[in-house]
Amino acid sequence: MSDPYKTNRRCFIKAISTSSAALVLGFHLPVAAKPGQGGAAPAKGFVPNAYLRIDPDGTVTVTVTKSEIGQGVRTSLPMIVAEELEADWSRVVVTQATTGLGFKSLGTGGSWAIGGNWTPLRTAGATAREMLVSAAAAAWSVDRATCRAEKGSVVHAPTGRRLGYGELAEAASKLQVPTNPPLKDPKNYTIIGTRRPRIDGRPIVTGTATFGLDVRLPGMKFATILRSPVMGGKVAKWDDKRAMTSAGVRAVVPVSSGLAAGVAVVADSTWAAFKGREALDVTWDNGPNAAFDGEAFRKKLEESSHASAIVTRKDAVAAGTSVTAARSIEATYEYPFQAHATLEPMNCVADVRDGRTEIWAPTQAPDRIRERVAALIKQPAETITVHVTMSGGGFGRRLGVDYALEAAEVSMAVKSPVQVIWSREDDMRHGHFQPASANRMTGGVDAKGAPVAWKQVKAGSYLSIFGPPSAAERASSDYWRDASWGCYDNPYSIPGLETGYVPVDSPVPTGPWRAVYSPSCSFARESFVDELAHAAGRDPLEFRLSLLDPAKKFKAGNLNIDQGRLRSVLALAAEKAQWTRKLPPGWGRGIAGNVYDGDTCLAYVAEASTGKDGSIRVERMVCAVDCGIVINPSGVEAQIEGGIAFGLSTVIGGEITIRAGRVEQSSFLDYPVIRMDQMPKVEIHIVPSTASPTGMGEPPVPPVAPAVTNAIFNATGKRIRRLPVRLPAAAGGEK
Amino acid sequence: MNENLIPQDGLRLTVNGTQRPASAPPDTPLLWILRDVLGLTGSKFGCGLGVCGACTVLVDGEPVRSCMSTGPEVAGKKVTTIEGLSSDASHPVQRAWLAEDVAQCGYCQAGQIMTAAALLARNPRPTDADIDAAMSENVCRCGTYQRIRAAIHRAAAEMKS
Ligand code: FES
Ligand code: FES
Repeated sequence: MSDPYKTNRRCFIKAISTSSAALVLGFHLPVAAKPGQGGAAPAKGFVPNAYLRIDPDGTVTVTVTKSEIGQGVRTSLPMIVAEELEADWSRVVVTQATTGLGFKSLGTGGSWAIGGNWTPLRTAGATAREMLVSAAAAAWSVDRATCRAEKGSVVHAPTGRRLGYGELAEAASKLQVPTNPPLKDPKNYTIIGTRRPRIDGRPIVTGTATFGLDVRLPGMKFATILRSPVMGGKVAKWDDKRAMTSAGVRAVVPVSSGLAAGVAVVADSTWAAFKGREALDVTWDNGPNAAFDGEAFRKKLEESSHASAIVTRKDAVAAGTSVTAARSIEATYEYPFQAHATLEPMNCVADVRDGRTEIWAPTQAPDRIRERVAALIKQPAETITVHVTMSGGGFGRRLGVDYALEAAEVSMAVKSPVQVIWSREDDMRHGHFQPASANRMTGGVDAKGAPVAWKQVKAGSYLSIFGPPSAAERASSDYWRDASWGCYDNPYSIPGLETGYVPVDSPVPTGPWRAVYSPSCSFARESFVDELAHAAGRDPLEFRLSLLDPAKKFKAGNLNIDQGRLRSVLALAAEKAQWTRKLPPGWGRGIAGNVYDGDTCLAYVAEASTGKDGSIRVERMVCAVDCGIVINPSGVEAQIEGGIAFGLSTVIGGEITIRAGRVEQSSFLDYPVIRMDQMPKVEIHIVPSTASPTGMGEPPVPPVAPAVTNAIFNATGKRIRRLPVRLPAAAGGEK
Repeated sequence: MNENLIPQDGLRLTVNGTQRPASAPPDTPLLWILRDVLGLTGSKFGCGLGVCGACTVLVDGEPVRSCMSTGPEVAGKKVTTIEGLSSDASHPVQRAWLAEDVAQCGYCQAGQIMTAAALLARNPRPTDADIDAAMSENVCRCGTYQRIRAAIHRAAAEMKS
């Protein structure tokens, strides 16, 4: 699926009249609409979904349509507007868009918040700036060419007169909205590219930021749900006698709108709900999945990766090119089910009433919540308002709407505002997961050590939370191609390169997880590039660089691959890590790179050390990244640091295993994520660029695992082909 | 705040310097007394099992998992939550957190800050190893560890000067 926003740069902006003396511009920002991420279709016609407001007191308010899930959009998006507006950053405030009232297209996913909004946000800021300059010129009766905007004021250069934006707002609001306002030359940026601390920093460090779990309404009840332990199971019968006598319990109601059916206990406090749940007696109808075994499924994936595949890419072999392999190798790379394990468990507050329903949700998909709740409670969508709270982590989990549906269902049943809260165990077991997959790799090198064959076949599952593919999609190679970023968009030039997909269905609820399809494919690809380099007796860095032409750009599916940009980040990471410098004994070094979804280019050099007990410690990660123009370097670096931690948790941390249809993990004890003492030293080098900015939420994740496992190979000679790494218990390497 | 809780006579807690009546069944974890009874939602629920640190508060200056202790256990002791560290972000640890732009989603940070404040109170010049030892029970799924480390060193330097 191509992205409509990349080609259609047309921006509509209109002035909104208000009763106050403010200048308000309405404009439209695209939603997340990348494949597999379920973005709502863009609204037809022009319905603004974003606003820029300048009040008479000089306050600049930017309405953000993207959810804050820790990626800093509530800071970076206003920075873009403020730059073109020539605003005084200290006077900029941000408000969160709420569904309804013209906000038709809200959604956050696909690392697309910055890339998709870059032009509309700049244009909105520039439009307001031009109107304010015109208003000042008219007030002074001077030529507008002699006026300039600067830090929240318009200055008349010849006389030094100055009018603040607040003073000009009313007059500006009466002017015609200009089309095609000039955009600034990036060399003159004063806000974009500078370090700006998070706009929400203060409320966070004082404990006053409102996350989903912090929403409190008058008369609100607290509920928690006992869900079927077996995936897809149902409630056969339930007895609420004991639960209803538990202190503070008010009601017990069945729930079936989420990912797992169950019974909700509604109480006066969270603790009363948790205690009441312990006293519930439920008999389950386990359904067809009670025999589902994750280990058997893993074997099935492995076997399927050998089966005949739907071809997703096949490069021609140039005439006269020799493709006789002197050495051929093959390997299978396995990736397990993974949980998001956001630190704030799923939760949602719903107040369902006839004709006026309100939802407060830590969500990446308020639009979809509205649509799906409307269908569930059989009320028109216009009567439903979704308030987006701060989210304690997202990573794709909050693109699912199951937890909001459950809250609406419970609120409707008990006719009261209700907060439905998931325990950590619920969150670990009953969400959607990163699908498990296997990648079958075959390749060869010729007598001179050049790669002459490459085939990568992914065996995996579609993302079930968005529904199964239609018969037409199932038969379409494009559908499966787009379900394997990191595989078909292989950036290297290898004659006859071929990729494929073998769909393997499972009953496990699956959905987007940070970087979606890429981590498993990229782990296999970047590891196997290493294997081929070693088979050819060549250095893995030099081998990669030899397959990337600085001037070559090509298209893989709908994605644009720029070999030169990838080459530069690989070379930069290697240089900064001093690739050829000797490491202490027992240490190893590995490299991996990636072009994420046709956009951001990122490479790591990892250094890992091994203990005498066989334990592994990742000591240092050197990153080089090209993400176009950087809005907020502090934000970009934070995403890389966080992406490294996230990726590392898949290498030396946990996995989700399933036995008898039940997820076996329950908390951070049996699903470890990395901790302070396991965090490597991270060094980040950003390639200066004047290209449009590209996403940074997801791109840092995929190359982490292969960089680290390549380093482990370098240190130990052991090739890791299945994650997480299984090591003797020791610091930094449980399992 | 919730008026509907079963009254439990006699439990008075000293939270952030103020004596507060806290009506809740005696087995109620301190975390839920703070959040559901006293309306102090700054302390977070991450696991309820003592394995993530999101709920960390200070009890007589020591970091305590509020999800693992009950009202009666802290009666007569001084409980400090993130709201009580300072409401204007003036505590050196909060200032350092802002200066290093630590937070991503921010959910773990109340627990991280309280744990760091306790560390610095007993060890004004922590080494990296001291930081590892004190902070490794606190999960940050967003991976802000490098900045937390920098912020602790910054706060230590500032508190000394
Ligand atoms: S909520 Fe108390 S340790 Fe996790
Ligand atoms: S900042 Fe998100 S969990 Fe730490």
